[in-house]
Amino acid sequence: MTALTNKDSRSTLKRIQSRLPPPLVALILAVLLFLIGGLLAPGFANVNQAVNIVRLAAFLGIIAAGQTLVIISGGEGIDLSVGALVTLGAILTYRITDGDEALILPALGVILLVGLLIGLLNGIGVALLRMPPLVITLGMAGVVTGLIYFVTRGQLIGDTPPAMGTLLSSALIGPIPGVVILWLLLGAGMWLLLERTQYGKQLFAVGINRTAARLSGVRVNLVVMLTYGLSGMLAAFGGFVLLGFTQTVFLNLGQPFLFPSIAAVVVGGTVLAGGKGSYWGTIAGALVLQVINSLLLALRVEEAFQLIILGVILLVLLTMYGRQRSVRQ
Amino acid sequence: MTSFRLTVEKAVKTYGGVTALADGNLDVQAGTVTALLGANGSGKSTLSKILTGVVSPNSGSITLNGAPMRFASPQAARQAGISAVYQELSLIPDLTVAENIWLAHEPLKNGFVSRTLMRQRTQSLLDLFAGLYNRHLTPDALITDLTPDERQLVEILKALSFDPRLIILDEATASLDGQQVNRLFELVTQWKANGMAIVMVSHRMEEIFRIADKASVLRNGRTVGERVIAETSERELVELMIEGAGALHRERAPLVDPANPVRLEVRGLKTSVLHGVDLTVRDGELLGLGGLQGQGQSDLLMALFGAIRSTGQMIVSGEARHFRHPRQAMAADVALVPGDRGSEGLLLIRSIFENLILPSWGSYGTPIRVARAREKGAVIAEELKMVMSSLDAPVNSLSGGNAQKVVIGKWLLRAPKLLLLNDPTKGIDVGAKAEFYSLLRQLRDRGTAILFYSSDDDELLGLCNRVLVMHDGRVSTELFGDRLTHEQLVSASMGTPS
Amino acid sequence: MTTISAPKTRSPIGRTFSRNPFLLSLILLIIMIVINRALQDNMLEIGPLNGTLRTMMPAIFLAIGQTFVVIAGGVDLSVGSILSMTNAILAVMITQEATADQALVAILVALAAGLGAGALNGFGVTVLRLQPIVTTYATSFIFAGIALRILPEPGGRLPRDLTSFYRNPLQLSESFAIPLSLILITLLVIFWLVLSRTRFKQFLFATGGNADAAYTTGVRVSRVKFTTYLLSALFATLGALALTLGTGTGNPRAGELMTLPSVVAVVLGGTRLAGGQGNIIGSIIGVLILGLIGNIISFGDLDSWVRPLVDALIIIAALAIPGVIGLVRRLNQ
Repeated sequence: MTALTNKDSRSTLKRIQSRLPPPLVALILAVLLFLIGGLLAPGFANVNQAVNIVRLAAFLGIIAAGQTLVIISGGEGIDLSVGALVTLGAILTYRITDGDEALILPALGVILLVGLLIGLLNGIGVALLRMPPLVITLGMAGVVTGLIYFVTRGQLIGDTPPAMGTLLSSALIGPIPGVVILWLLLGAGMWLLLERTQYGKQLFAVGINRTAARLSGVRVNLVVMLTYGLSGMLAAFGGFVLLGFTQTVFLNLGQPFLFPSIAAVVVGGTVLAGGKGSYWGTIAGALVLQVINSLLLALRVEEAFQLIILGVILLVLLTMYGRQRSVRQ
Repeated sequence: MTSFRLTVEKAVKTYGGVTALADGNLDVQAGTVTALLGANGSGKSTLSKILTGVVSPNSGSITLNGAPMRFASPQAARQAGISAVYQELSLIPDLTVAENIWLAHEPLKNGFVSRTLMRQRTQSLLDLFAGLYNRHLTPDALITDLTPDERQLVEILKALSFDPRLIILDEATASLDGQQVNRLFELVTQWKANGMAIVMVSHRMEEIFRIADKASVLRNGRTVGERVIAETSERELVELMIEGAGALHRERAPLVDPANPVRLEVRGLKTSVLHGVDLTVRDGELLGLGGLQGQGQSDLLMALFGAIRSTGQMIVSGEARHFRHPRQAMAADVALVPGDRGSEGLLLIRSIFENLILPSWGSYGTPIRVARAREKGAVIAEELKMVMSSLDAPVNSLSGGNAQKVVIGKWLLRAPKLLLLNDPTKGIDVGAKAEFYSLLRQLRDRGTAILFYSSDDDELLGLCNRVLVMHDGRVSTELFGDRLTHEQLVSASMGTPS
Repeated sequence: MTTISAPKTRSPIGRTFSRNPFLLSLILLIIMIVINRALQDNMLEIGPLNGTLRTMMPAIFLAIGQTFVVIAGGVDLSVGSILSMTNAILAVMITQEATADQALVAILVALAAGLGAGALNGFGVTVLRLQPIVTTYATSFIFAGIALRILPEPGGRLPRDLTSFYRNPLQLSESFAIPLSLILITLLVIFWLVLSRTRFKQFLFATGGNADAAYTTGVRVSRVKFTTYLLSALFATLGALALTLGTGTGNPRAGELMTLPSVVAVVLGGTRLAGGQGNIIGSIIGVLILGLIGNIISFGDLDSWVRPLVDALIIIAALAIPGVIGLVRRLNQ
């Protein structure tokens, strides 16, 4: 039958795609790119470089955790305030601790609370004022940045407690830095949250069909607000962790992580339309992006070409599994 | 008028490995009404979409007036004189009635869209249904402001605006009331006389016998027979549609024992659509809600479930309650099977398992004990005889009837004491309906109080102890015992007191 | 006749506003003008007015292009990069000694590059069926990279005649002059009004309102979407032209921070981000509002470290107004 032969002649790539879950595809891709890097730039594919890439990916991965939740929540969910909140988290930690190790935990408590509150404001805008997430979180990013200018007046006073660098950025167990272990713990936590709690199950439901979710007893607005709250909190936490690496702060610290946080989520197979995805995917996506970044740096590609190559690779990745259904069937 | 003849032979369509249509055949001629019949998932919609160029078949042939055709797009089919009234409405909510009707063939004047012409032509189309719609339906009204039946009318007029030689009515009467249907059928008769060909996809046997000349029956994606309506019977067609008949077995249900406790009592319930509804349901009672579509039945069920705002008195299980969220209704053992499976009942891309457990995740602890939830899900799937590849298959891989079982199953898992049903058998095939009826009887006999709205009078007559007929946001008539007859039901629906 | 369930009734005022969402932004604009006028006496005099409007022109072009994409249900996050890229082309090709012909060639090259960029976006969204937000985000890197390749550092100087023609008000008579930007804005409004009478406008709104329904009715949805990305890139190129003429030079990062404000302006102007509703007059008003907020803050006696916060708070408040109205209405029901 013609119909059957049509089926079989589908490209091998497509069939592999439909069998392998996107997080695994992304992970394989990250490893492949790393090995290819070894061929292109001698000395690239070594253990040190691998550790370094995973460490850098961990910062992006942690920052993208909240973004994953927001994108799963659907309704064109996206959080553009992530970058500003990362900066805020880092600056607050820098200022509150002022290098004092005893103040690390209190500072952590404060930034988590501040992140949660700002995130909840986003959630209120989305759930109660029914503003498009892109708009309210973009506006909030402006407010948070304004707040940073207003409070600091450009004077970034403070210091990083030495312990943060030791615990997070330097090698902690063997060659593995603390941030990587933290990332794995966060990964396990996110899996539990998404797959083994009522909140997680309801989040997927809200992401697909809010009416059906509500008629099944889900408090949709609460789930949405909580999700943006968590995203704010995780972004601020990302800033805290990032400080351990940079040891210093500047006004534009978090902004470069904003769009990569979205790209990591999408490359990991989480559907931008909502209701489908995982944090493992985001982890793999962050690794892919970081391998590309490090490789371009190692090859000493000039900035113009770095940008072009990054754009092309993103397009190719999206084409592999970011496609939407066709209008014509 | 030139003669028009369109034939489809051996059409095949598969979607990612699932065969929607295995052997579709259809022969359509000018001046004839051809009914396309089949249970849900039998391939009717796919076949009719092949005619309109929305779906492209994997193989098969289409012949138009003797010449082979291949419709590459809806435009191509339209140029051949084919237009369709779709089941899923194809209107753009934020455009006006006129803009929708004339979309993609706007009347032009000097190369620009002429609003005046568009308005005039729309008005003359609307005049075809003069007196049968509300006054706010004008050429400049926005679709989002219209009621479902008015949207359906606009949809019909839109198909007509293309001046087609073949018009496909895909469940076009689903949202219309009796008088609107009558008017539509008068028009169909006129079109037929003018040499237009008509294909009608409908679940309502009565309509097919009223208007169709012949019927083509599909079963499991294959055309299994064609019958001339004048020479066939309802029974024969149903037997063709399903293997082994067994439609609705009528059984006059006795009135519920007045000693049974009252499960729900409502006094003066009001919403933007309801103007004060009173009713009482006892345990073990299957109370029917009837009347024309859109008289407030859906609003009533949604209000009882706390899904829309309402005022008035409500006593559930002996306690005065006022639900502000479905969650509160669920805590009081109330369940609602909503009217639209796809948009209100299911998470289409998630698994059957997750859909079944959605209302109940809270009862499996944190972290969720998934194994226990799966056991429960498997039991209910077995009990409802769901046909599926596994509990992990996405719900959108199921047929209409099986998907509806998932919607019902998720509530049965919570063993509700009051079950609200909003037209639950709409768009379900005959076999699944029969299973559903016996399930309802079982639940009733086990003492569940059931409030059951149906747009199918036969269901109300066959299943209910008592039927409340709704009209204009109120309960206008209560029918039981000897008064519960088809004639009474129809006349009460039309608002004529008897 | 049977009465069918009550139709949604709306007051005439509510109806007017829901059909013309940009009326709300018009009111906001008038308020902004009044405040601005109070802080800056000469605001409406020809000199300052000319300057204010001229600096807003690039943003106006970007917002207009963005509006087409948004109405059709997409979003274009590459408009800023396209502007950077074409700005770089213009600055490199139009040297101080350039003749009129050379300038024309440069503009044509810039337009070709811009349309090429738009075609890539359109290809990604319609042929490859990728989500607009990530597609245009990815392509924005490509265009930004090309911009840097063409013009690694800010530079270039346009002929003086050319820039002064664009910069100065158009002297219609000895006593009467009008800002060139005002004429451009008027032309853009007329362009929209003419476009509103075409089939393309119907297709555009139908595609954004319900793409499936539009397709089954015979609208070539993919073609319409593709066209919106071309239009968006075309307007980004015109924005680059306005910027190049206004500044007289090129900057490969000129558009970096202009993309997201273009989306904000579109939303401020009453265009629905989900598609199917909106118009470019609103978007022009949106840009004017954003610009005036900046003006007001710089004329208000504010500490420069407070300005970004005040700016952001006003913008977020303006964006939230429709939401707050909606919430109040829902609570009152």
